[in-house]
Amino acid sequence: MSIHTKTAIEAIKRSPFQAISAIFVLSLTFFVATMVAILVYSSGKALSYFETRPQIISFLKDDATPEAVTSLENKLSGDMRIKDLKYVSKEEALEIYKKATSDNPLLAELVSPSIFPASLEFSVTDLKLAETIISEVKSEAIVEQVGFTANIGGEKSLSDVVSRLKTASLYLRLGGIVFVSVLAITSFLVLLVIISMRMTTRKGEVEILSLIGATPSFVRSPIILEAVIYSLVGVLTGWTFAIIFWLYASPSIIGYFGQIPVIPKDPLTFFLLFFIILAIELVAGLTISLVGSLIAVGRSLKKIR
Amino acid sequence: MIKFSDVTKSFGSINALDKISFEVKSGEFVFLTGPSGAGKTTILKMILREMLPDSGEVLFDDVDIVKLADKEVPRLRQQMGIVFQDFKVLPERTVSENVEVALAVSSVPDNEWDSRVRHVLKLVGLDKRANLFPSQLSGGELQRVSLARALVINPKLILADEPTGNLDWKTAEGIMDLLEKINKEGKTIIMATHHEGIIKHGKHRIINLDDGCIIKN
Repeated sequence: MSIHTKTAIEAIKRSPFQAISAIFVLSLTFFVATMVAILVYSSGKALSYFETRPQIISFLKDDATPEAVTSLENKLSGDMRIKDLKYVSKEEALEIYKKATSDNPLLAELVSPSIFPASLEFSVTDLKLAETIISEVKSEAIVEQVGFTANIGGEKSLSDVVSRLKTASLYLRLGGIVFVSVLAITSFLVLLVIISMRMTTRKGEVEILSLIGATPSFVRSPIILEAVIYSLVGVLTGWTFAIIFWLYASPSIIGYFGQIPVIPKDPLTFFLLFFIILAIELVAGLTISLVGSLIAVGRSLKKIR
Repeated sequence: MIKFSDVTKSFGSINALDKISFEVKSGEFVFLTGPSGAGKTTILKMILREMLPDSGEVLFDDVDIVKLADKEVPRLRQQMGIVFQDFKVLPERTVSENVEVALAVSSVPDNEWDSRVRHVLKLVGLDKRANLFPSQLSGGELQRVSLARALVINPKLILADEPTGNLDWKTAEGIMDLLEKINKEGKTIIMATHHEGIIKHGKHRIINLDDGCIIKN
């Protein structure tokens, strides 16, 4: 063990309450940061789910000829405002119905494909264009009816859902950033205070070391190492508590949100996401500890010299 | 090794050093003597570059340490061993750790530490006290720790500022014997003291200061 590591560990042992407060604040910061990061990820995923799923379904008349359907399909696929166009036949519509009613097979047995209309499903590149496109598609001779696929929470159109989600996501991001920033600043200040206190208690030692030829980096190293230890332990503790929470809560969350992929269902992706967050937090933690300790040590050394 | 040329230093209206010049050759043992406030410690502080003169030159191995950049100062100090009147040992480290610190500061490889520390502690008679803390040692023993720390880096020059000032006569004599022994091994020693008995103890060159002036060299 290097003399700097030994000095840093001894300093932590000598002042356990300072160490506990630093680690506690840093753990809280990184626990909240992990939670916010996952919530931001989830809101982004939910938003993207609603934005990318087929938004408009144009139900076709039963007497629509295959030629007329192909002609309309070609027309729509050539339209730059439309994306993800898909033809759903009567048989496919029945399959979708069967899947949706899989918990009650009797319902599916009672119907035949003929009662389901064929349809053309598509999304729009910009939801603002939806109303215009709907009225254009409605005027097509083979189109019986046009509707939205989502009608969540009583919204009249999908644009309402998406716009509500966008607003919620924006507030979540802003709130999260503000909250995490406040906590990060608090952690930074706590580290600054603790390192300054450490420098004050080590004033005599620093003077002696300086007189026997210690370089500023020799004097700084154990103090910075101490701050780095606090931040690493803080990041790992906060992150571990957060991952335990999500591991515990994920079955209920996945069950509640169903098709909406708010958190990854695949364990590999789930852990990859958490490890990416950990890596970012380690960088952030190291930055906080390095900047905080360098400022505190710099100020104290100036006073001592 | 050390050369002061017309060095002046004042603190407000008080002249701590007034155009003093002297030279110390390699291997010499020099006493800086004089009453309190004569300028002994100021000279040592200038050699350590803890203090800069108002005018004049201070050469260490032909390098003007007044013009030395701040970042070069640790390297200069690593070539010197310092013994203080108030020992300046690190209270939370054991005797051997106090000595190891000097080796760490001078970037001596870790694998040499053990043998060097043992050798130097044996030299100062503290080999059986290696694992004790400063609070468990007497004044004389603390001064030996300070001396061991100064010696372990094998310095060119040893600066001793009243090293016997806080010690009884018998213990002071022991420290002086050690310094004599070290000097005989070829180390240059500059020692500030106003202790008459100590000065008479060894027949060495004396630079006598008063009011910042050399009155006898």
